[in-house]
Amino acid sequence: METEVVEAEMVLPSYLGFKKVQGYDKYPKSQSSTRRFKHLKQIIQSEVYPPDEPNYVSIESPPSAHPAKRVCDITGYEAPYHDPRTKLRYANTDVFKTIRALPSEYVQRYLALRNAAVVLR
Amino acid sequence: MPVVSQIQRQLDYSLIPSSTPIVIDNGTSYFRIGWAGEDDPRVVFRNIIQRPRHKTTGETVTVVGDHDPALFKYFDCSRSGPRSAFDSNVVYNFEIMEWILDFGFDRLGANGSGIDHPILMTECVCNPLYSRSKMAELLFETYGVPSVAFGVDGVFSYKRNQQLGVCRKDGLAVCPGFMTTHVIPFINGEPDFRGSCRTNIGGFHVTDSLKQLLTLKYPYHMSRFTWEKVEDLKVEHCYIAPDYFAETRLFQKGAPEAESKTRCWQLPWVPPPVEEGPSEEELARKAAIKEKQGQRLREMAEAKRYSKINELENELRGLEFLLRQLDQVEASGIPSFLAETGYVSKQEVESAWTKASQSLRKVKGEQAELEDKPDQSPSEKFNLIDVPDDMLTAEQLKEKRRQIFIKTSAEGRQRAKQRRLEAELERERRNQEDEERRLENPELYLEQLHVKYKELSEKIEQRKRLKTNGGHTNGNNQSGGVGRGERLNAAQRERMRLLTTAAFDRGKGEDTFGARDEDWELYKLMSRDNDDEDEGPDPDEAELIRISSRLQELDAAFVPKLEMGISQPAIEVPKFRPLTEEDYRVVLGVERFRCPEILFNPNFIGVDQVGLDEMAGVSIRRLSCKDQELEDKLTQSILLTGGSSAFPGICERLEAGIRMIRPCGTPIKVVRAVDPVLDAWRGASAYAAALQFRSQTFTKMDYYEKGEDWLRRYQLQYSL
Repeated sequence: METEVVEAEMVLPSYLGFKKVQGYDKYPKSQSSTRRFKHLKQIIQSEVYPPDEPNYVSIESPPSAHPAKRVCDITGYEAPYHDPRTKLRYANTDVFKTIRALPSEYVQRYLALRNAAVVLR
Repeated sequence: MPVVSQIQRQLDYSLIPSSTPIVIDNGTSYFRIGWAGEDDPRVVFRNIIQRPRHKTTGETVTVVGDHDPALFKYFDCSRSGPRSAFDSNVVYNFEIMEWILDFGFDRLGANGSGIDHPILMTECVCNPLYSRSKMAELLFETYGVPSVAFGVDGVFSYKRNQQLGVCRKDGLAVCPGFMTTHVIPFINGEPDFRGSCRTNIGGFHVTDSLKQLLTLKYPYHMSRFTWEKVEDLKVEHCYIAPDYFAETRLFQKGAPEAESKTRCWQLPWVPPPVEEGPSEEELARKAAIKEKQGQRLREMAEAKRYSKINELENELRGLEFLLRQLDQVEASGIPSFLAETGYVSKQEVESAWTKASQSLRKVKGEQAELEDKPDQSPSEKFNLIDVPDDMLTAEQLKEKRRQIFIKTSAEGRQRAKQRRLEAELERERRNQEDEERRLENPELYLEQLHVKYKELSEKIEQRKRLKTNGGHTNGNNQSGGVGRGERLNAAQRERMRLLTTAAFDRGKGEDTFGARDEDWELYKLMSRDNDDEDEGPDPDEAELIRISSRLQELDAAFVPKLEMGISQPAIEVPKFRPLTEEDYRVVLGVERFRCPEILFNPNFIGVDQVGLDEMAGVSIRRLSCKDQELEDKLTQSILLTGGSSAFPGICERLEAGIRMIRPCGTPIKVVRAVDPVLDAWRGASAYAAALQFRSQTFTKMDYYEKGEDWLRRYQLQYSL
């Protein structure tokens, strides 16, 4: 290790005195950690929820009761219109021209900002 | 205020009695650890790890928290992005959690065997049992902790502010965090989680949306917009507008207030060194060299011409001499005379002579009168046409037919020439008109050209696409191998269709295709279809080329679209004009308040949940207490805490929003926590320092004996 790295003590040492069980004993190298642990979705699914108590899922907020504000995807102004071809929202004709000139990669990224991109997989 | 990590190793671990609890604020963004009773956490760092590979030794090491980026040059960080132990706001990856705890304890100065202090740790509201139990297991088993307590960070923050007198014992805590935002009602100093509410929007989403917007707007500077830099920008420049649309209207109109609200970030830019035009001497020298070369070439051409002229003249003289000799010789003696020279008859000699003289004339520079040839005495050539058939002999008939043929072809040529002339005139006229239109309204003309170009290119692209993958409307070109691709071509499909229908037309079961001649017409049909397609695009492509060349001359910023299929970032700076200082300026106008707006309007990102203001209403509704007084008490003490509550203007906006949804005239008071970032830790520290804290913890024995159900129902009593 280079001296400055050692000095900065960036790297986590593999042996730590205060631990009862060291990391290399506990987690064998075989399985990658991503598959060893359940993700949130799986955790929630496998939980048993008694009916009356508040739990992680019941706390979730409902959808909004106000009508959604339509905001132009490119400029951020109010956007009463949307382009039927690309499904982007735009505020005025100049923005519309820019939209029509965009390559499709950018269109998808703008839509993804709004979580409206169609992912074909 | 950007949080600066403190990771200095603490040296007084052994001096602290083992009854003092360690307080950990295990937040989604930052990890804070310290001793109970103190005012500030000892160690603070970003709650992420990275596992880069060391370049020389090749081993993979773990790096916790954020470090000086310069030190990372010894590591290959390409395959290791920052990873977090959290999924949304719940800990799920306990291996990463263990590394983080390792680092935290290590920097706190832990030594000796085991961590011999009770631990108070924060968790999220209504943490799932799985996460809680795994965490308890980790602390008991791996670190040997004697007792553990879990509490909610937002609640600790509220309690601390309550002690400071900022808010009352009945109230609402609004905590926008890093990944989520909570609203927790308090009744009599205790949180009531039945009325709590969580939206999955936090500071992370604000930064992420700002980053995306900037990268889309300035793709040229994409590498500049790192996560850390964008967070700094967010903290420094973002604010929440009291009314989003009013603010955007200001910007749309271009009002002077909008100007003052725009912030510009000038990236370093060095103007390219101006190439000085070649000096006068250089130019003169180059011109002289070119002149000399030209002269040399011309001389060579002249020499060649002279030699050719000489040759031809010699030949001509020779032929003339021969002719004169022929004149003198008798008619019968000609063949023998000519046998020596290689010419068969007098006519040949004469024709050779005419040819030689013509080429001589051409070389000498006289115009070869090609045009006159077909006009050579048209009248005598066609003298036989008008004579009716029965008056001519057989030979003359043949002659007549020949003349008719020549005449019609000559006429045809004339007509073709006429048409060409007319087409030329037409084109000239159209160019003229074009020029006029351009002169009178250059912009409009340019726009029209652009539009035409785009349409044409799209049409051609589409046709090409149809040709190569007919039915593939989604871009998923993962067809296995060549066979499938061929079959799906529209033309191929058509052929298959024709073949199969023809085959089926016969009768059932019997294949008598080919017995009749008409069947083979099928193939003619198929090949005709194929040919038709190939002819199509040519006029369009020619038009496209014409328009693109025109655009290139007129519009300096026009970049002709290259081979279709390669998607260029068309918003890249066109390389035809020199980059100016302006291109290197990042302008933050609407983005300043558009990004934090998602806290109030998660719909901007597509998250279908309520925003901050409505969350308060939902929370109160969920409490379902019919007591109007209690509700008023709640709204009178609304505390804003948490890392993402530091935007200017958030208090006013929240107040206005809550006023909209509560009955008219309710008293509303929104206060901000004294220190939105550190208050959670401070509250926890004060809690752990209290005497009754011990009774709120549970030990290893409790954990194993009392079982899961008990652990689920375990909850701190926050007012001690």
